[in-house]
Amino acid sequence: MTTAIAGRARTAEERSGTHGTAHRPRRSWAPYLFISPFYLLYVLFMLVPVAVSLWLSLTEWVGLGTPHWVGLRNYRLLATDISFHRALGNTAVFVLVAVCVVVPLALLIAQALNTRGLRARDLWRTAYFVPIVVSPILVALIFGLLFDRQFGLVNSVLRALFGTGGVDWLGDPSLAKVSIALVMVWRWTGYLTVFFLAGLQAVPRELYEAAAIDGAGRLRTFTTVTLPALKPVTAFVVVTSFIGAAQIFEEPYLLTGGGPAESTLSVTMFIYRAAFQRQQFGYAAAAAVVLFVLVFGLSQLFNRLLGIGRATS
Amino acid sequence: MYTAPPSRRALLRAGLGLGTAAALAACGGESTTARTSGDVTLSLWTHDPGYEAFFRKGIPEADRLTDFRYHLDVTRAGPADLVTKLLAQAVAGRGTPDTIGFEIGSFPRMLRGDIAPRLLHDLTPDIAAVPGLKDDLLPARIAPYSRDGKVYALDSDTPMVVYYYRDDLFTEWNLPTDTPTWEEFAEVGARVHKDHGASLCVVSTVGSDTGQVVQSFQMLLYQRGGAFFDADQNLVLDSPEAEEVLRFLCEGLRTGFVIDISDYYGAAMQTALKTNRVVGLPMAIWYKSYGLVSNVPEQKGKWRVRALPRFTKGGGVTAALGGTGFGVVKDKANTEAATDFLLNTWLTHEGQVRRFTETGYLPTRRSVYEDPRLNAAQDDFCGGQRLFSLYRSLLPDVPAFYQSPDQSILFDVLAGNLLRAYRGDVTPRQALKQTAADYRDQAGR
Repeated sequence: MTTAIAGRARTAEERSGTHGTAHRPRRSWAPYLFISPFYLLYVLFMLVPVAVSLWLSLTEWVGLGTPHWVGLRNYRLLATDISFHRALGNTAVFVLVAVCVVVPLALLIAQALNTRGLRARDLWRTAYFVPIVVSPILVALIFGLLFDRQFGLVNSVLRALFGTGGVDWLGDPSLAKVSIALVMVWRWTGYLTVFFLAGLQAVPRELYEAAAIDGAGRLRTFTTVTLPALKPVTAFVVVTSFIGAAQIFEEPYLLTGGGPAESTLSVTMFIYRAAFQRQQFGYAAAAAVVLFVLVFGLSQLFNRLLGIGRATS
Repeated sequence: MYTAPPSRRALLRAGLGLGTAAALAACGGESTTARTSGDVTLSLWTHDPGYEAFFRKGIPEADRLTDFRYHLDVTRAGPADLVTKLLAQAVAGRGTPDTIGFEIGSFPRMLRGDIAPRLLHDLTPDIAAVPGLKDDLLPARIAPYSRDGKVYALDSDTPMVVYYYRDDLFTEWNLPTDTPTWEEFAEVGARVHKDHGASLCVVSTVGSDTGQVVQSFQMLLYQRGGAFFDADQNLVLDSPEAEEVLRFLCEGLRTGFVIDISDYYGAAMQTALKTNRVVGLPMAIWYKSYGLVSNVPEQKGKWRVRALPRFTKGGGVTAALGGTGFGVVKDKANTEAATDFLLNTWLTHEGQVRRFTETGYLPTRRSVYEDPRLNAAQDDFCGGQRLFSLYRSLLPDVPAFYQSPDQSILFDVLAGNLLRAYRGDVTPRQALKQTAADYRDQAGR
């Protein structure tokens, strides 16, 4: 007992850093070594590429040889490039779909999956989650078959049910956007549902009981209990969905190639096209910088509006 | 004797030393001392296993004809990825291949800036050094891989465009197989569509592959005598020939003579072929292997090949579509060996004969078309038809295909406008005007 007390006393002394007058605190490199891999990788694969992109955006470079300094010319050209404007517009549409359609849909599905007494809950959850783990190549292949104008399943069903088919899902500029949006909804809703489900399960049961005692109906309970309680999760989901949709690439690249007539061309596809199909690396870097600034700025705006990272009162 | 284990500090120093040595080694360039004879392992990059097999089989002949004993180290990747990887390795200063196959649609990237002259060996003097070779090579197949009079790659094929048709159905439906002009053929096609729901021509509308969309138009455009670019890489698309061809296709879509299929190679085309919705189409000679045999092997013996009908107002009876040019990376230890290898497998008479018999690709040397072995070859899929004699007769009409570094820009804008014209949203004239305008807007950047 005495030993134990003495031991505790020593530990406290050590913690307080008052060993004795003869001891000088040693500077240990160990913590820095342990955290250094992240920062090394961060510098190598984040800061350096970002800095190089910035510099590259001020040059003209075909991918080989010495880049030629052109100042802000690439940015001036972007400002008048109809193709880039189309890409920005298309990306804005995809962002709106992600934030205004996918996120609310995910919340509703999560609410449904969180209902008491739901049978085969795990089966439903898995079914909603599966699309996100399916390879994008397969997704594009399957939806390509579904949306085919001549022989696609969607048109076949429409023909069988309503006697009308031949809808050019991927060939009509407006419908192509709708098709991409449908794929986004199918692919991302289940994934976001998982976040909302986790949030819903963390809402204290007492709040619902109190609301029930106060006579609140389902809608009122949802708007006054569930939604406020889910605010941090919602904020996270909205911001990550926004960032993800702003950088959308796989769906339009694989399904429509950005067409027809650039109607589904996203900004990331624009960047890819400029760099790896047209060898205009400086121009591509300038577009990447513009995208970065837009995404970063709007994310910060969302952060402030939604109060991410601030303690709830 | 007891030896103390190394301290942590010593181990750390040793690790740092090794890491630094490895980093320095990785940063070092490759040896450029030229090999002039003996054993050599060539690094070959290609997208097609057929080329790998061809070159491997060609090693004994190359060994016999040169001072080298060849071995191959083959890397396979997608056509576009090969160019990206080549440029990345070139920037790194190491790891470039000795010889590389450029799918024709990927080569324009090499034409941007001074990439081709900086990176690729100029094959012009090597061709000139072989007696008679320069005049024997088809200029039409040198053009796509040339710039400023220098040849940077040698084509794998003379990919003529021919007309494939279902002989059994043509016979059953009493359709003529020798209709001389497209205009008459379109009238036949409209009747066929009305009576049997089938089409005799195809345009691709797959959005994810602008190349395919453009190809449908390109084949007939070049046959008609039009072109995308001239020899100086100027856009010459906006022409009466182009308008005539596009109008012809749009009208065909309206009558049903032409059907729009999302993909020449995938499920949609397979369905169309199996259900007899497509019973004929113009396409390059390689489509027999990549489109017909692979999609409808059960239709073996039912297909035939003929020359394209002519356009009444002019043009030839064929076009060219596709191809892969093999080039040699310059200033490497194996540059000379790779050049010798290419010339002594790819361009020899025997090599060109073997290329046709093994891969189905047509010779790029005029004289090889006279080889009796090729003219005697029969094609089982086409009911024993002697196709080579047909190809030989088309040879004088093969048009040159000039490429531009801005070709991908043209394909992007043209594909969109073609689809709009097919859908009837714009007239052929408007589509071509808009294409030219969009191209000029983007190509100047």
